[in-house]
Amino acid sequence: MKTTLSLALAVCTLVAAAPAFGAGGREAASAQPATLQFALSGNPNTLDPHATAGTLTFQVLRSVYDTLVEPDESGRIVPALAESWGVSADGLHWTFHLRSGVQFHNGDEFTSKDVVATFARLRDPGRASTHAAEFAAVTAVEALDRYTVQFSLERPHAPLLSALASGWSAILPQRLIANGHDFGGSPVGTGPFVFEQWMRDNRITLSRNERYWIEGQPAVARVNFNIITEVAVQVQGLLTGDLHIIDMVGPTDIARIERNPATRLDTGLSSLVMVMAINTRRPPLSDVRIRRALNHAVDKQTILDVAYAGGRPIGTFMDAGDPFALDLAHLHPHDPERARALIREAGGVNRVLDLVLPQNFEPHVRAGEMYQQMLAQAGIEAQIRLVDWSTWLSDVYGAANFDLTVIGHTGKLDPDGRFSLFETDRNYVGWSHPEIPRLLQAARLESEFAGRREYFAEIQRLLAEEVPFVFVGTNYRFIAMRETIHGFHMDGKLDTYDLRRVRFR
Amino acid sequence: MRGDERTSHRAVIGLILRRLGRLVLTVMLISTVVFLTVRVIPGDPARTIAGMDAGEPAVESLRIRLGLDRPLWRQYLGWLWDTLRFDFGTSFFSQEPVLRLILDRFPLTALLAVASFLLSLLVAIPIGVIAAVKRWTVWDGLGLMFAQVGMAIPSFWLAILLLMLFSVRLGLLPLFGADSVAHWILPVVTLATERAAVLVRFVRASMVEELEKEYVLAADARGLPHLRVRFSHALRNALMPVVTIAGIQFGYLLGGAVIVEQVFSLPGLGRLFLSAIVARDFPLIQGGVVFIAVVFSLSNCAADLVSAAVNPRLRVG
Repeated sequence: MKTTLSLALAVCTLVAAAPAFGAGGREAASAQPATLQFALSGNPNTLDPHATAGTLTFQVLRSVYDTLVEPDESGRIVPALAESWGVSADGLHWTFHLRSGVQFHNGDEFTSKDVVATFARLRDPGRASTHAAEFAAVTAVEALDRYTVQFSLERPHAPLLSALASGWSAILPQRLIANGHDFGGSPVGTGPFVFEQWMRDNRITLSRNERYWIEGQPAVARVNFNIITEVAVQVQGLLTGDLHIIDMVGPTDIARIERNPATRLDTGLSSLVMVMAINTRRPPLSDVRIRRALNHAVDKQTILDVAYAGGRPIGTFMDAGDPFALDLAHLHPHDPERARALIREAGGVNRVLDLVLPQNFEPHVRAGEMYQQMLAQAGIEAQIRLVDWSTWLSDVYGAANFDLTVIGHTGKLDPDGRFSLFETDRNYVGWSHPEIPRLLQAARLESEFAGRREYFAEIQRLLAEEVPFVFVGTNYRFIAMRETIHGFHMDGKLDTYDLRRVRFR
Repeated sequence: MRGDERTSHRAVIGLILRRLGRLVLTVMLISTVVFLTVRVIPGDPARTIAGMDAGEPAVESLRIRLGLDRPLWRQYLGWLWDTLRFDFGTSFFSQEPVLRLILDRFPLTALLAVASFLLSLLVAIPIGVIAAVKRWTVWDGLGLMFAQVGMAIPSFWLAILLLMLFSVRLGLLPLFGADSVAHWILPVVTLATERAAVLVRFVRASMVEELEKEYVLAADARGLPHLRVRFSHALRNALMPVVTIAGIQFGYLLGGAVIVEQVFSLPGLGRLFLSAIVARDFPLIQGGVVFIAVVFSLSNCAADLVSAAVNPRLRVG
């Protein structure tokens, strides 16, 4: 017992000595801190924009790189490294006029040869970049002069501009590409912040790019992306002031953060399409009446409120906040009676359905349990099967081994990225429609918003009528921050953070 | 006398050689099993890297780049050949050399394990001995209660509790990060608590057994100082089995680190391997298993050598 006491004393002595080493966040929170402490929910796989599809990578790289064009706060594509651009009358040649006087972090001047080298790297078949397919229509990227680049296409392709505004189109310096530089470990771009250090699973440190091409930006001197996987630790860190912005907020923390005068919640519609996907290859789910019954059986708002901490219901495969979105939620209101009638009419569901849930995603699992009960009320029995994420991707998404599954489809700057999933029926739900390839092609050839909206509306209607999914809704996303933080902005569709205007007040 | 010494040296060398041989066999066997297991269980690394947006052609070209299109036996032979040359390949996801990834993380995890190992001995031995000497008194009761509670508390819960108290409430220790000694205190205390709780029972049982032996009774009868008998004679003998147990426990400390690293945001081996498994990063999983198997075998081997040094009877044979 004496020893426990002396141990306790020893710990206390250490504890007393500790503030000397401790985090500077606490004192810093009152004064004007030099470093923005950002909590990131996971460690990126790599910092090479051409080697991953992981959102975490692009959330960090958004501050290190620039793209030729970028989405503004409303989602409109505006100039970035390209000051202006034009399309030839036949839509086959896109010419970009580059900003001059921009420097890479290593001192190299940004010119057209960097753009050419970057897209050669991205489209290199040996690299097998996951996003290369978005540039399939591109036949050549050429430097016309030092500050002019031309993209040549084999057919008009309106979604090109959105692809160029996405994180994977970040511009890398040609000289380092030629040297085989390790971009995965130490990225070098033209962006607002210079990459300093990445301690894996711990922290990524960036410092202000003093020569950034936007005058007066960025405002903060340093950014620490602290990798903190526990939501409780993130929230506590925000409340104590050790963290300034956190990317994870549990449903039970929302009220607490809103109540606290020192913290604030940044809420908006996410760009996710939350669904329960239906394997339309398998009877009886191949019968559209059964699929409609499933849609009637589900109380969308309840699912959104309970499983996803709130959101807006949808009736087709498009997130509720998209400018192209059609509100079709009224087509399948919650109506268990109607669901049962449709099932009777279709001859019943005479087997137990295989409902697969990705266990790493707690909200989807919670939603799945609720679907199971709602389906039971409509007389459909479903058995839950939990799988891990990798298995879900390979076995469910890749090999279509499921009846029903719960997932959220992430956003795309251009609707083409969403609907191209249905160009053929070789997708996980096994559904397409003869009209869809034609409509998609027409939308790619059309450059005017109004014209494209017509085509996309037609596709959305087809999806809403044939319901290869139970379309549930778009959830709210929550980012929490200290009250002192101003100028934080999230690139809606890309789920990345624009930290250029962030400042403390 | 000299002859004896030479024999015992030879015996120790023989022991080490036998242990090394066994180590190589164990590692080969384990890593072959793991090589096959990761390829049999569902989950395709190429699909996992590509995510939901990529089409089948993109996934297929990734598969080719990763060498997963080759027949299984060729993948196995290639991997075996590389491993024998200490080439563990590169991570599918970060494209960094596996050995570097592991060695970058190892110091933190090793330090965590060693520090909490020492702390657990420092706590467990005195508590266990006092409990044994003062058997069936309130001191014994307190010691056993510590063991009971320490084993029953999940380390995840204890970790969060300590964070809430020392980092949030009292603001004495940092909440996250791994830059200084202050960051280590709570993780080490968390890990040590669980281990110490287990060890206390072993120390107490071993000590009780020793105290009931005739030489202790005889020494007491001869009127030798009560405490000296207990602490210099009985304790030394009682600790012998504890060394073996502690050696095995050291291996478990490496495993137990995963949860602690997660809660305290420490960049250790546990999280590296956990994310490798989640993502099906085959080279990293395989390299990690080989590495852990080697460390585990070596720590057991070290425990045996320590036992042999403490107990001359174990030296021969």
